[in-house]
This record gives sequence, C-alpha cells and structure tokens, in this order.
Amino acid sequence: MNDHKPNMLAPALIGGAVAGVLSGIPFLNCFCCLWIIGGAVLASYLLAKDSPVSLTSGDGAIVGALAGISAAVVDSLVGIPLHGLNVAVMRRMMERLSEFADEMPSGWENWLDRTGGGVSIAMFFMGLFISAAVFAALGALGGIIGTSLFGKKKAQGAEIAH
Amino acid sequence: MKKGPNTVLMTWLLVLLGGLLWNAALFAAPLLRQEAPVVSAMIYAAFSPVCHQIPERSFFFRGFPLAVCGRCLGIYLGFSAGTILYPFLRRFSRPFLPATSIFVLVSLPIGLDTAGNFLGLWASPIGLRLAAGLVWGSVLPFYLITGLYEVLRLFGGNFRLKSPGQTK
Repeated sequence: MNDHKPNMLAPALIGGAVAGVLSGIPFLNCFCCLWIIGGAVLASYLLAKDSPVSLTSGDGAIVGALAGISAAVVDSLVGIPLHGLNVAVMRRMMERLSEFADEMPSGWENWLDRTGGGVSIAMFFMGLFISAAVFAALGALGGIIGTSLFGKKKAQGAEIAH
Repeated sequence: MKKGPNTVLMTWLLVLLGGLLWNAALFAAPLLRQEAPVVSAMIYAAFSPVCHQIPERSFFFRGFPLAVCGRCLGIYLGFSAGTILYPFLRRFSRPFLPATSIFVLVSLPIGLDTAGNFLGLWASPIGLRLAAGLVWGSVLPFYLITGLYEVLRLFGGNFRLKSPGQTK
C-alpha cells in the first residue's frame, strides 16, 4: 500500500499454506471455513509483525484474499493424494444421507464410482477456480479481522522508516 | 452527495448482494436436487472445501440437506442479517472496524462450542450451533465493508452515483 509496508506475498503464502493443509485433511475439516479465516488472520499477523507502520483494513483484505487463493491451491494439491480417502468419506456420507433424505435421485450409488478412479485435469482446475473464489472471499474477511487485531502500531513505531 | 458516502453505499450494496446470492445458493442446492441434479451437485461441490456437509449436522430443505452445516448456515445468515442492519447502526459515513472487545465477545460462543465438540466434551444440538454461528456472523460484515471500502478507494477511486440529467 505504501513504501514502508513489507511485501505481502510471503505472509500470504505462509498463511495460505497453513489454511490449505488444515482444511484439506478430512478429519480436521470439521472446522469448516474457520481454517481459511484463521489462515488469513495468520497472514495478516505476519504482515503486521514486519510492518513498521499501521496496516489499513484494505491491506488486510488484500493479504487475506491472497492467502485464500494460495490456500485453495494447497488444499487442491493436498486433496490429490487424499482423493481415495475423501471418496470413502463421501461414500459414507452419501449412505448416511440416503437414510435421512426422503428420496435420493436414481443412480446416486454410481456417482462416486465415476470419480473413484481419479479426477480429470479439467475438473481439477474447475474445482480449483471455484475454491479460489470462495477462499479469497473468506480470506479477505480473515485478513481484515487480523488487521483489526494486530495491525495497529504505536505512534513512535509509525515513525520508524526505512 | 459527497464522494465518501457514495463509495460506502456501493460497498454496502456489493456486500449485501454477494451475501444474499451466497445464501440463496445454500438453499438452491437441495431445491434443485431433483430438477437439476448437475447444478445441485456443482453447488454442493463448491461449498465442500469450506464445510464438512455432514447430514446429521445440517438443516434439511425439501428433503435434502442444505449445502452447508448448521453452524456455517448460522454464520452466513448472520452475515446477511448484519449487512441489513449495517445502515441503521453505522449509516453511510466512513466505515471503521469494530472494537477488539466486541470481536472477542461474539467469538466466545462459537469458539467454545466448536472446541468443546471437537474435543468430545459435549455434542451441541444443531440449533445451538446455528445460534453460535448467527452471533458470530452478524459482526463480520462490519469488517468486510470496511476492508472492501478501503480496497475500492485504493484501486477504483470513488464511485459516484449520477443524478438524473447529469452527464459527467
């Protein structure tokens, strides 16, 4: 945002990597979107730690959105080796769903068999694109929250210039 | 009309529209399950990276679970409710971030509930998860509107609403 503020890329990549790994692990994904918001808060904290001047909420939004996008990439990459496990989890969920749902569409049992052998490159990138959009929105929110928590510097800190 | 309030109004409208579309998608997933199963599956898939979507922890609509669990539903519905309340609490003057104490206060219910469930200390009913999400979600637009306002001012300048007959 101005010359005194550090580069946003490194904090965004670190926060995004943490969020992406944690949200990609099946057992830990019970925290839902909180991992993405938490990763963006971490990115904002890292940015604030290295910044000699106070951050604006706009800084938080940008670093958070970048963290969200990198989290989507990491989440997708983590998902590749865990694909088989995820399919097994999804199958159990579909079976549970069939107990709750009034009427399941015909052939639902075969849906997962079609993807059980792997994911096509087109599907991978389409999923990545959608994830990136959703994660960026949640990440921006987390980044702004992080700025409100860690972004303020004391007056004398603001005068420390490069 | 001054530049500042116009930008705030545009930011608020963007956030309001985005939130309403987001919430509409949650209900569209089960609604379209029979009529348009491919679209429905795409919506479920879009939300799957940000929610576990466990049916027992989800509300049902037309016989199928919503696209997210009860807690996430609370967060997103609370977000839209907070956005609708925003003009009454802050009007369209220059936005500012809520106090840290308020964030800590509204985060306590969802934090305790999530941690307790994860550690196996208790199993909250879905209504409590929804309520905790509603409380937390209602404060979030006050952050997003402030941050988005700053970004729009930085990259897009000030939005100006043209009055009738105004050419520039």
